[in-house]
Amino acid sequence: MTTIPAAAATSGRRRSGADRGPLLSTAFVLIAGLIIAGGSADSYFGGVVILALTYAIVTAGMAVQIGFSQQVVFSQSVFMGLGAYGVAVLNANLGWPSLLALVVITIASGGVAWVIGKAVSRASGLALAVATLMFPLIAFGYVSYANWLGGSIGLSLTGTLWPGGSATLNGILTVVIVAVVVFATTRLVASDIGLEMYTLGVSENTAQAMGVRTSRRRLELFILGSVLATLGGAVYAGTQLFVPPTLVQATAELSLLIMLFVGGRRSVLGAVLGAVGIEYVTGISNWISVHILLIEGALITVVLLIEPDGIAGIVSRLWRRAAPRLPFTGLTTEAVLVPPPVLGQDEEAGISGELALAEETQTSAFRQHFAARRADEAAATTTLLEVRGMAKEYGGLIVLRDIDLTLPERGIFGLCGPNGAGKSTLLGVVGGSVRPSAGTVTLAGEDITRLPAADRFGRGVSRTFQAVHLIRGRTVLDNVAVACLRSQRSSLLRGIVISRLARARADAMEALEYLGLGELAYREVGSLTLETQRMVELARAMASRPSLLLLDEPASGLSEIQRERLRGVLRAIGEVTCVLLVEHDLDLIAAVAERILVLESGALVFTGTAEEFRSSELVNSLLIGATPTTTLGGEH
Amino acid sequence: MKLGNLIISGIVTGSIYAAFAACVALWYRVSNILNLAVGDFAMLGALGVDNLVRVHHWKLAPAIAAMLAAVSVGAYLYDRTVLRLAQDGRTRQEGIVVTFFFTFALSFFIEGIAELFYGTDVHAAPAVWSGPSLSLGGGLHVDRAGVLVVAFAAIVGIASALVLRGTLQGKAIEACGENFFGARIAGIDNRKYRRLLFILSAALACVFGILESPITGYTYNSGAALSLTGFIAAAYAGFQKPGKAVVAGLGIGILEALLGGYVSANYADTILYALLAAAVLIRPSAMGLDIVPE
Repeated sequence: MTTIPAAAATSGRRRSGADRGPLLSTAFVLIAGLIIAGGSADSYFGGVVILALTYAIVTAGMAVQIGFSQQVVFSQSVFMGLGAYGVAVLNANLGWPSLLALVVITIASGGVAWVIGKAVSRASGLALAVATLMFPLIAFGYVSYANWLGGSIGLSLTGTLWPGGSATLNGILTVVIVAVVVFATTRLVASDIGLEMYTLGVSENTAQAMGVRTSRRRLELFILGSVLATLGGAVYAGTQLFVPPTLVQATAELSLLIMLFVGGRRSVLGAVLGAVGIEYVTGISNWISVHILLIEGALITVVLLIEPDGIAGIVSRLWRRAAPRLPFTGLTTEAVLVPPPVLGQDEEAGISGELALAEETQTSAFRQHFAARRADEAAATTTLLEVRGMAKEYGGLIVLRDIDLTLPERGIFGLCGPNGAGKSTLLGVVGGSVRPSAGTVTLAGEDITRLPAADRFGRGVSRTFQAVHLIRGRTVLDNVAVACLRSQRSSLLRGIVISRLARARADAMEALEYLGLGELAYREVGSLTLETQRMVELARAMASRPSLLLLDEPASGLSEIQRERLRGVLRAIGEVTCVLLVEHDLDLIAAVAERILVLESGALVFTGTAEEFRSSELVNSLLIGATPTTTLGGEH
Repeated sequence: MKLGNLIISGIVTGSIYAAFAACVALWYRVSNILNLAVGDFAMLGALGVDNLVRVHHWKLAPAIAAMLAAVSVGAYLYDRTVLRLAQDGRTRQEGIVVTFFFTFALSFFIEGIAELFYGTDVHAAPAVWSGPSLSLGGGLHVDRAGVLVVAFAAIVGIASALVLRGTLQGKAIEACGENFFGARIAGIDNRKYRRLLFILSAALACVFGILESPITGYTYNSGAALSLTGFIAAAYAGFQKPGKAVVAGLGIGILEALLGGYVSANYADTILYALLAAAVLIRPSAMGLDIVPE
């Protein structure tokens, strides 16, 4: 497959664009902030902006946690309160300098968030939202009666952040903190860890199947969001010099969410501008602050109706329309997404059908790996997967019973059976998404029965889904890059310092080119046809160079011609890896599989070659029905 | 006697939670949207009736009818504009923006309007069933408004559970929430159900506010707290079952009254919320709300 130069040029440009994004955003915040703080921090206008910036620290973290990674929590105002009250108590009662108190309390909040996060990250989705919604209620209920925290009045501080500093100095310090936060968070979302987090937000299942340790990432995200909220609260205390209990109220939480959603929930810069914009507008106009409920209600409705990604989304959409060829990475994290379409439908179909396996002249690590696999004579006979005495029941309903299965390192093994026979459950048991009731799963001699899906992925088990599970809103390249991250053991902090996304994307490109999909790399996956989406999912499954590939009905929804093309692809894959193929299309199975297994009511009732499969009475009666005229056809 | 009166007051408070929980759960069932403005419809009912009777000297019955009509029309218009634009267009908005944020914005909007029209003072609609509190013997007392509140909550809870379980419409409602496109293909007009139940839950909340306001009194921003407690109680029914939500609401109300009576008056709410949060975290899957509809 020859790489079109234009595609390479695009890739180069986009990569450098992605690297510049965080710097540009940070520079913008720093310059704009310093002009305002340096020029007019002691004016009313400057004071409003400084207050707004303390909220911006919080909303930047929310953009990462709630918007980008879709972990909806309502605990930000509580951690903001922790920071503010912490600094106030240390400063007013113990006489610490505010800046030292800020540092100590922010670090300490990491520990607090870890403990709470351990409990909280047991839940996800709506349960997470409901559980954390109680936090502001609990905190406000406590604080407003706690005398040592000033009860319903609040606490005063004695010293500003910059000891004895002017409003200007404190303003500049605030701006610098905001800039650092913006830099760190924008770098994080643009990194390989950022791609993990985005995937986790779209679908936990997909993320786990691609090796992402979702509960760990959820915990880290909770800690990140909480620490930034604490930092925001600490800066609030150090610049406002007074901490009211209303800071931790549920309504304060809602105000933060409004800033985030109006500004743009998935964009760090959008969230910062949302905070500053709303605080500023309510701060300068008495009329607006009197009618704030009415205006905010109408404003959120209108903005979200136009664009769910808020003002950042609107700006980015306008920008893309104005300059469609330029990657836009400054304002929204969606920047990594959706360049303009480069191919028409016809070209797309042609590309996905074409298989580039034959050309060994191009040497990529990916190709070399598979060439070596293909050359390995012993692979067809060495045992890779062994399933022994496998059973699965759901509360008395037996789905699988006493399954024994041995697969070698290479070849395609078809698994078919009537609806409800347990095919997908068996695939889930092998893949790690379903925990068996009895039996063992051994992969290359290692017992993996108790390993979660993410760990099995690391050991070479890869899968596709019955319904396409692609990550909407990201490019084809990023969808495949998810499988090439190798960042499962890295902490979230590493993503801020070093991004390995470029390397993962390069690996992903090799996998895409291997399947002849290289030219689609920068298309958004939602814009592709179903066939191409299935091919992208296949490329993603192959990109991790799996030893065992689990395919769940890859042909469903495809036309006859598309199935024909799929056959070619599958045969080629079967020469280099072990494929367990669940499929309803018996012709397809018979054409590509070297051995076929038939499941019926949870038990394996048939094992044999394609020839035996075609002539088996049992198979015919079970899968085709009793009509004698319809038997399995040969190859088309 | 203290225990008995606490339980009675707990049942009354619990019924308030229960009614809002039923409204939240009923509409979530069909739309997959959490109605965070439901309490504001109650507030509108209470303050609106009070305003018509006290300021404009209307009789109670026409004032109630007028507010019911106004709230229903408002709910209808909201569905026809905002929800239609958000969900019925070419790109259907889904996920957290729709689940939380449109109704949350609506709540702000209604509170803003109420502040404009009714000011910031505490008011209450005139009692529908006036008179001294009823004695149940043995020193137990209950407000007449409390009796109405409990009765109304019971009717709403039982009726919605029966409709969902026993009627074809109920099944259609369940189908709407289960799978939007699946329901449409099966010939169920989920937009119609979304609209009807939104108007219905707004009207029910409105009636409820009118009945309940003599007990607590309302201000322009009372609605948020009511929506919140309804939301929390509904959460314990997985946002799905109005009947179960009523039970959860009652339980929370009684627990709150007992905590206030026996543990600490100041910290009753705080302890209550801590217990509720713990309940979610100990077994998140038990509530059936692990998954945000994608």
